[in-house]
Amino acid sequence: MEETRSPILQGTLDLMVLKTLEQMGPLHGYGIARRIEQIGENALVVNQGTIYLCLVRLVQKKWVNTEWGKSDNNRRAKFYSLTKAGHQQLKAETENWERISGVILRVLQPQE
Amino acid sequence: MLAWIHVMTARLRAFLRPGEMDQDFVEELETHLAMAEEDKVRQGFPRAEARRLAQLELGGLARVREAGRETRGLPWLDASWLDVKLGLRMLRKSWGLTLIGGLAMTLVIGVGATVMALFDLAFGEALPLENGEEVVAVQIWDSRAHRRLETPWPDYERWRDHLDRLVDIGAYQHLERNLVIGEGPPELVGVAQMTASGFELARVAPLMGRTFLPEDREGNVPVVVISHEVWQSRLEADPAVIGRTLRLGDTVHTVIGVMPEGFMFPVNHGFWIPFEAKGPAVLGDPPFAAVFARLAPGASLEGAEAEVRSLGLLAPLALAETEEQLQPRVVRYTFAFTGDMERGQVRWIGRVILLFVTLLLIPPCANIAILVYARTITRQEEIAARYVLGASRGRIVGQLFIEIFVLAAGAAFIALAFARFALQHFQQNATDVLNGGAPFWMDFTLSLRTVLFAFGLAAVAALIAGALPALQATRGQMEAGLRAMGSRAGLRLGNTWTVLIVAQIALALAALPSTIELAWGTLRTGMLGPGFAAEDYLTATLSLDNELGSDGVGSDGRFTDLQAELIRRAEAEPGVSGITVASAMPGSEPWAVVEVDGAPPPGENLFAPNNLVRFNHVDDVFFDVFDVPLLTGRGFNAGDLGRENAVVVVNRTFVEQVLGDLSPVGQRVRYSRRLGEEGQGSAETWYEIVGVVGDLPAHRENGTVYHVTARDQHHPAHLALRVGGDATAFAASLRKITLAVSPALVVDEVRTLDSIYRDQAVGNNIGASTLAAVTLSVLLLSAAGIYSLMAFTVGQRRREIGIRAALGAQPSRLLAGVFRRAIAQVAVGAATGILVALVVGYFLPIENMGGWNVPGVIPGAALIMVLVGVLAALGPARRSLRVDPTEALRG
Repeated sequence: MEETRSPILQGTLDLMVLKTLEQMGPLHGYGIARRIEQIGENALVVNQGTIYLCLVRLVQKKWVNTEWGKSDNNRRAKFYSLTKAGHQQLKAETENWERISGVILRVLQPQE
Repeated sequence: MLAWIHVMTARLRAFLRPGEMDQDFVEELETHLAMAEEDKVRQGFPRAEARRLAQLELGGLARVREAGRETRGLPWLDASWLDVKLGLRMLRKSWGLTLIGGLAMTLVIGVGATVMALFDLAFGEALPLENGEEVVAVQIWDSRAHRRLETPWPDYERWRDHLDRLVDIGAYQHLERNLVIGEGPPELVGVAQMTASGFELARVAPLMGRTFLPEDREGNVPVVVISHEVWQSRLEADPAVIGRTLRLGDTVHTVIGVMPEGFMFPVNHGFWIPFEAKGPAVLGDPPFAAVFARLAPGASLEGAEAEVRSLGLLAPLALAETEEQLQPRVVRYTFAFTGDMERGQVRWIGRVILLFVTLLLIPPCANIAILVYARTITRQEEIAARYVLGASRGRIVGQLFIEIFVLAAGAAFIALAFARFALQHFQQNATDVLNGGAPFWMDFTLSLRTVLFAFGLAAVAALIAGALPALQATRGQMEAGLRAMGSRAGLRLGNTWTVLIVAQIALALAALPSTIELAWGTLRTGMLGPGFAAEDYLTATLSLDNELGSDGVGSDGRFTDLQAELIRRAEAEPGVSGITVASAMPGSEPWAVVEVDGAPPPGENLFAPNNLVRFNHVDDVFFDVFDVPLLTGRGFNAGDLGRENAVVVVNRTFVEQVLGDLSPVGQRVRYSRRLGEEGQGSAETWYEIVGVVGDLPAHRENGTVYHVTARDQHHPAHLALRVGGDATAFAASLRKITLAVSPALVVDEVRTLDSIYRDQAVGNNIGASTLAAVTLSVLLLSAAGIYSLMAFTVGQRRREIGIRAALGAQPSRLLAGVFRRAIAQVAVGAATGILVALVVGYFLPIENMGGWNVPGVIPGAALIMVLVGVLAALGPARRSLRVDPTEALRG
C-alpha cells in the first residue's frame, strides 16, 4: 500500500543499504546515502528520502538496529547497524542477486 | 513469516504511539538536511542554495515525513477509524434508521447471545480443578433407549480395582439431611457421601485437619469433612473446629477436616461423609450419584472407554435385551450432568443454535438492508464524488459496511449487557439444583465465546444490512451517479423492493395474531390471579431422610406414622384450618394424553389439541381444603381410598375440552401416555368419572383429572396447609414441628402458593415482554420500509408532481397518485398475510402452547398493519403536495 516504487528497485535498495552497513559498520542515514552515491559514481540517481523509508522497513524487520549517537562534526544523529538476522539476510540476498544477475548476463551475452 | 510478525508488531507499536515515532523521524531528517547543507557549503555553494539543493535531493521534508508515517503505522486502520467516525455521524443524522434498526438488531443479537451464554453454562466443559479436562465420569449407557442406567456397586468396585487407564476412581451419592448444630434450628442441607478418592482426584488438600482414612469406612465414629463456607458461616470460623460435632439427620458426626475456599466437588457440596465399607446396592445418576475418575497420564477418553468395555458388566441387567445394548461409557465429567444425551449431541445442538440464531438475523437485517439501500441511492452523488476522487468501489462498500457495523456493534454491546443480566438472574434462581446453588464449575460471567459470538453476529448483520445493499447500489452506478450529479435524473428502484415490502407486511400480519394470542395467554393468568386466596396456603414437600433405605418410605411403615403425626400436630396449631396431601400442587401438575371410552383414540401428536390434560393424585379432603366447588356428581370420600384405580374426578375445563357434549358422570377415560412418566402405570386401566369440580387455579384453564390416593402413598408428599393470618410466618413453626416429630423427617421448599404463582408470572412476563418487543420491532421495520419507499417515490416524482400542480391538477388527485402504489402494496401484503395467518391459526394449536384465543384478532391485526402502512405513507405524501412548481421545474 505504501510502495510506490517498482519492487525490483526496492529490493536492490535494501540490498545496497545492507551491504553498505556491512562494509562501513554503524552509519547514519546521510552517510549511507553519500556512500551509495559515491559507489554509484553518481550514475545512480537515488532519492535520498527513499533511503530513510527503506531504513524504516529494515528496522521493522529487525535486520537493522538503531542508536542515537554523535556524528564526526559532533551532531546528534541516528546510527544504523546490521543485526545477526540482517547479516543472514544480506548473505541470502547477495547469493540470490548473483544467481539472477548471472542468468541475466548469460541471456544478454550468449556464448557461442 | 517471522519478518512479517516483526513488521506487524512494529507497525502496531507505531500506530499506538504515533507522535513519538514521528518526532524521531523528523529529527533524523533535519539532521540529514543540516549535514547535506554543510557539505554543500563546503563545496562552495551559498548557504541558501545549499539548503535548497539538500531539500531537493531528499525529496521534500513533508513528503518524506508523510511517506514515513505510512510506512510505520497502520494506514488502513487510520482510514477505518475515519469510517467509524463518519458512521457515527451518519447514525446520528438518520436517527430513525438507527433507532429502528438498532432495536431490531439488539433484540436478535440479545436472544442469540443469551442462548449462547446459557448453552455455554449448561454444556461448558471446563472444570476448575487442576488438569480439570482429565476428570471423567463412568456410566452405564443403554444405547437403544438412549439413557443412563444405575451403576451396581460391584461393577464400580471392579472398575476401581482393575482399570489402568483411569486413576482415582471413586463414587459419590447425594443425600439430604437435616443439619443441627448445638441447639440451633434444623436446616436441610445437601451431603456428599463420597469415597476418599474424590479428594485425591480433585488434588485439593484440606485447609485444616484431614480427609477420609480407610478406618473411617468402618463407621465406628461417624466423621464429616466440611467446606470453608460452612466453617465460616455456621461454625463461626472456630479455629478449634476439628473434633467438634454436628448432627446430620439421626447421626452425630465429628468434624475431621475443613476444605479450602471454593471447594465444592462433586457438585455443590459443603459436607462430605465417607461411604460405609459396603456401599449402596446401586448408584444412581448425576446429579444424585456418579462414578468419577481421572484419566491416567497419556490415556484418552476412547482408550479408557475401550478398557472399561473390555471388562464387561458383572450381571446382565434385567432391562437389557442384548449385551451390546448396555455398555459402560466414559464421558467428560461435566457432560455426565447434561442428562441422557449421546456424546455428539451437544455439538450438534450447538450448531443448530448457531444456525437458528443466524437465520433469525436475516429478517430484521433484510429490512435494514432495504432502508440502507434507499439511503445509499439517495447518497449517489456523494459516492460518485468519492469515486472520482480516487476511492475504489471496495473502499466505498467498506465504508458503508463500517457504518452499519458501528450500529450493529452498539446493538451487540446492549445485547451482551442483557445477556449478562439474564445470566445473573439465572444464577440467583439456580438454587433449586441440589439445594445449594449451581454446580461449582458453572461460570455465570459472560464467556469469551459468547462475546465473540455476539460481535460475530454483529458482523454478519453489517454484511447483510450494510455491505450487500452497498454492493448492489454501487454496481455499475458509479458512472450513473456521475451523470446524476449533472442531470439530477433519478434512479429506478427495481421490483425487488415491492416484493420485499409486500412480503414484509404479509409476514408481520401472519405472525401478529399468534403473537398477540401467545402474549395474552401468558399474561392473563398472572393478571387475573389464581382465583382463590393463594396467599393463605403454605406448601411444602415432605420426605423421609434417605438414611433409612433407598426407597425412602421405609419398609416398616415409618413414613406413614411420622407423616400422620406431623399432620396431627400441625392441625392442632392455631390458625391452621386444613391440611391436604397431593402429588403436585395446583398449577404444577404433570401432563398426560387422555382417551375417552368409545371415542376414537388420540393420535401420537402431542399437540392434538383436545386430549392433552393435567393429572394429579390428591387425598380425600383436597377439594374441601382448596374450596373447589363441586359442579356435578360427587367428590371423593373416604370410601374411595380402597378403589384408587377405579374412580376419578375431572374439572370443568376437562369436560369442555375433552368430553364436549357428552354427559361427564359415568364416562370412562384412560391415559395413552403420561409425559415424563413413560413406562409407569398401565395404559389399560379405565377410570370412571364420578364428579366434576371447578377449575383450580381458576384462570389457568387446563383440563385436569384428579385421582384419589392415600396420604402415605406420596413420597415425597406435597403438603398444602391452609393458614389463617400470616402463612409465611407459619413456615418456621412447620419446620420446628417437623423436627420435633422426628429428625429423619425432611420438610423442604416451604413457601406460600402465592409466591410460587408470582415466580411463574415473572417468567411469563419476561416471555411476553420479549414477544411484544419482537412484534413491535417488526411493525416498526415495516412502517420504516413503507416510509422510505414512499419518500423515495415522492422524491423521484417531484418534477412530475410539480408540473402537474403547475398545470392545475387537484391536490386530492395528486395525493391519490402518490398513494396508489403504497396502498396497493399494503393491500396485497395484508391479503396475503390474512391468508397465511388463517393457515397458521388452523395448524398451530396456539392454546396448547399457552396462548389464548382472542376473538377478531386477525382482522384486528390487518387493520393495525393497514393503519401502520397508511401512517408511514402519510408524511411523504403530504410533502408531495407542498412541492413548489417553480422549484420542481427549475430542478
